Amino acid sequence: MKRWGWWVVPVCSVLLLAACGPVGDKSDSGTAGGGGAVRAGGTLTVALADDPDKLDPTLARTLVGRIVFLSLCEKLYDIDQKLNVVPQLAAGMPSISQDGRTVEIKLREGVKFNDDTPLDAAAVKKSLDRHRTLEGSQRKSELLAVSGVDVVDPATVRLRLSQPFAPLAAVLADRSGMVMSPKQLDKLGADFGSEPVCVGPFRFAERVAQDRIVLEKSQSYYAKDQVHLDKLVYKPITDENIRLANLRSGDVQVADQIQPTDVPGVQRDSSLQLIVAGSLGYQGITFNVGNTKGLPPAPAGKAAGALAADPRVRQAFELSLDRETLNKVVFNGLYEPTCSPIPLNSPYATEALSQCPAHDVAKAKQLLADAGVKTPVNVELTTDNSPQAARIGQAIQSMAKEAGFDVKLRATEFATALDDTDAGKYQAFQVGWSGRVDPDGNISNFHLSEGSQNISRASDKRIDDLILEARTTTDTAKRKQLYGEIIKAVQERDSVLYLWRQKTYIGASKKVAGLKVYDDSLIRVTSAGLTGS
Amino acid sequence: MGAFLLRRAGQSLVTLLLASVVVFCGIRALPGDPALALAGEERDPTALAEVRAQYGLDQPIPVQYWRWLTEMASGNLGVSLRTGIPVSETILTRVPVTLELALLSLLVAILLGVGAGVLAAVRRGSRVEWLANMAALLGLSVPSFWLGIMLILVFAIILGWLPASGYVAPLADPVGNLQRMVLPSLVLGTQFAAILMRQTRSALLESLGADYVRTARAKGLSEPQVVFGHALRNSLITVLTLLGLRLGLLISGAVITEQVFVIPGFGRLVVEAVFTRDYPIIQGVAMVSAGAYILANLAVDLLYSVANPRIRLAGAAT
Repeated sequence: MKRWGWWVVPVCSVLLLAACGPVGDKSDSGTAGGGGAVRAGGTLTVALADDPDKLDPTLARTLVGRIVFLSLCEKLYDIDQKLNVVPQLAAGMPSISQDGRTVEIKLREGVKFNDDTPLDAAAVKKSLDRHRTLEGSQRKSELLAVSGVDVVDPATVRLRLSQPFAPLAAVLADRSGMVMSPKQLDKLGADFGSEPVCVGPFRFAERVAQDRIVLEKSQSYYAKDQVHLDKLVYKPITDENIRLANLRSGDVQVADQIQPTDVPGVQRDSSLQLIVAGSLGYQGITFNVGNTKGLPPAPAGKAAGALAADPRVRQAFELSLDRETLNKVVFNGLYEPTCSPIPLNSPYATEALSQCPAHDVAKAKQLLADAGVKTPVNVELTTDNSPQAARIGQAIQSMAKEAGFDVKLRATEFATALDDTDAGKYQAFQVGWSGRVDPDGNISNFHLSEGSQNISRASDKRIDDLILEARTTTDTAKRKQLYGEIIKAVQERDSVLYLWRQKTYIGASKKVAGLKVYDDSLIRVTSAGLTGS
Repeated sequence: MGAFLLRRAGQSLVTLLLASVVVFCGIRALPGDPALALAGEERDPTALAEVRAQYGLDQPIPVQYWRWLTEMASGNLGVSLRTGIPVSETILTRVPVTLELALLSLLVAILLGVGAGVLAAVRRGSRVEWLANMAALLGLSVPSFWLGIMLILVFAIILGWLPASGYVAPLADPVGNLQRMVLPSLVLGTQFAAILMRQTRSALLESLGADYVRTARAKGLSEPQVVFGHALRNSLITVLTLLGLRLGLLISGAVITEQVFVIPGFGRLVVEAVFTRDYPIIQGVAMVSAGAYILANLAVDLLYSVANPRIRLAGAAT
C-alpha cells in the first residue's frame, strides 16, 4: 500500500539530482557481494516496507513478517535459490505412504530452541496442532488436509492426511512449518507473539511497534558458527523515498522494496549495491463474473455488464492491452510481463505458458463484434489510491480505449477496496498476489469455485477437477502437465487477467556481504555480515 | 480558584465523553472491515470470522461502545489488533516522544518567532522588518514534508552531520537524542515560528503605541526596559493564547514530521492505525489527544493570570 505519494515528484527529482556520482556495482545473483572479508559482530539495520503484524507464526499474515521470521523461526522445510524445497529442521524430505495419506518426517537431531530446550517430535506436534486449531489461526486453511499429528519417536513425527496433498512440503516451508518452543507456548499461550522463542540464528530481544524489532545472535543455534552479526534491527519505513534516503545516509544498511523509478539512482551510487531477484507472485486484473453476494459460502450469481457475461469481451480487453508497453511506461521496463500465475522459474512452468497473446486491437474489435456488444463497453476499474496505481490505471485506460472500452478509474483506499471487492461491489479490480512456492498456492484459492479468494466467483467444474487432481498428485511430471491444462483453461476463461510479475529490488550498503534474496522476495540475513573494520 | 478548577474539570469530562462517541462512531463509519484490513492478501474466511469474534467486532455498535467505555473507565484501552501489544503500553511509549518533539518545536518557534517578531516591531519600516516578514511568509508557504526532505538531503546525505531518521530516548543517549531531534524540531517549529512572528509583531506594535508605554518612556526608562519590561509582557497574552492552542496542533501536526523522520510518535501511530483500521489504537490515541488538548487549554487559562494580573479568573473572583 502506498502512502504519502503526493510528494513523489519533488522528492524523486531531488534524490535523482543527489545521486549524481560514479556508477556502482549491480549484483544480479540475489546475493550481496560487499567488499572485503566479513568480520564477526556488528549490527545490521534493515528497513522494511511495512510494520510486521504479530510475531506469532500461527497468527501472522504479512509479507514483511515473513522476512523477520526467517531470522527468528526456522521451519521444517525451506527453499533453496532454485526454489526447490529442502529440509531445514527436518532431517530429510518427507516420506509419503503409498496411498499418499500418511507422511513421516524425520527431525534433525541435537537442535535446541533459543531457550535451550530441545526440539523433538512432541514440540513439532504441539506447534502443528496449534496451527491447526488455535482461534484466529491463519494456518488452518493451509493445513486443512492434515487430520492428525502423531509422535512416532522423539525424532519422528507422522502427519495423517484426509486426502493426498502434494503441496505439503511447500506449505511446511512457510509459517505452517515453523516450530515454536513448547516452554514458551505454555508460558505465553495466545500471547506467544509478544516474546517469540523458536529455533533460529537470532533470538527475539525487543519490539517497539512501528519503530523497531531487535534480534540478537542466538547462542543455542545449531549453526551459530555461520552467523556473523551480533544484532539485527528491523525498522519499518513505509515510504519508499524515506527508506532510500535512510539507506543513502547510512542510517540503515539494507532497504527492502526499492521502486523501479529509484533503481537507476541506487545503481549510480558508488556506496550502494542493488540485489535483484524474481518474484513468485503476479499482478493483474480480476473481473467480477459472478460475485453478487460475496465470497463463498455465499452463492455465486451473474454479475452485470458485458465483461461478466461473455468471456470474448474479457479476451478482447486482454488483447487491447500491450503488456510490454505497460511495463516500459509504468515500471521503466524493470518488471516482467506475464500471462500466467506460475512463475517461469517454477519446476511446474513451461515456456509455452509464457507465450502471452500479442497486443492485437483489430482482433479485440472483432471479438467485441462477435460478442454483439455495443461499443464503447463501459468498464469501471478499481485500483488502490497510490500514484503508481494511478499510472497503471491511466495506461490501461488509454490502451483499452483503442479497442472500444471506456475505462473509468475508481481509486480506492486499499482496505476499502478489499471490502468492496469481497462483497462483489466492483466490475474489474487491479490486484496481485505475493505468491507461493507451490503452484497450488497461486491458483486454487483464486480459481476453485469455492476458493476463499475467488472474488470473481467464476465457476467451472472442469477447472475445479483439474486443480483438485493437481493438488493430490505427487508425481512432478504429471502435475506439470495438469498445471499446463489449468493455465490454458483459466486463460480462456479470463476471469483473472495476468499482466506483470514484479521483480525484487533490494538496496544495500557496499559494506554488507552474504545477504541473500531468493525469488520469494524475502531478505535472508542468516549468513550476512559487515565488511571492513 | 477551586470552584473554577472544579467547573472546568466537569466541562472537560463531558467534552471527553462526547469525544469518545464521535471517535467511536467516526472510525466505524469509515468503509473497510478491520479484520480484512488486518488480513491483507491472506483472507481466509474462517480466520476472518474468528478474528471478528475474538475482538467483538461482530457485536452491535452500542454493545461494542459500552464495552470499550467500561473497559476504558477501568484503565484498559485494549490491545492493538495488528500487533497484539496493549494500547496503553503503545501510547505510553509514544507520548514522551511526541511531547519532546512538540516542546522542542515550540522552543524553536518561540526563539525564532518571538525574536523575529520583536525585532520587526522595534525596527518597524527598516530592512530588518522586511526580512522578518519575508522569512515568515516563507515559513508559512513551505510544506513541512518538502522542508523535511530537503533538510535530510543536506544535513544527513550530503554533509553527513546528522542522522536522517530515528529516535533514541534522551536518558539512554542525550547527545544522540538531540542529534536526531534537531531536524524534526526545525521542520515542525518553522511554520509555527512564522505565525508567532506575525502575532508578536502586531501585538507589540499595538502595545508600543499605548499610553502606559509613553508614560514609561517619559519617566526615562531605557528602550529595552520599555520593550521587554512593559510592552512585550502585555503582548504575550495574545502569544500565550496561541501557544495553548498550538501545542495541541503541534501534537497532531507531528504526523508528517514523524513520518518523514521515522520517529515512533503519536502521529505515525495514528496514521498506520487508520490505514490498518486498528480501532483500539485509533480510539486510544484520539482520547489521549483530546485529554491533552483539554489540559493544555486549562493550563493557558491559568497562565493568563500570571502574565497579566488584571485578568481575574471568574471562579476565583466570586
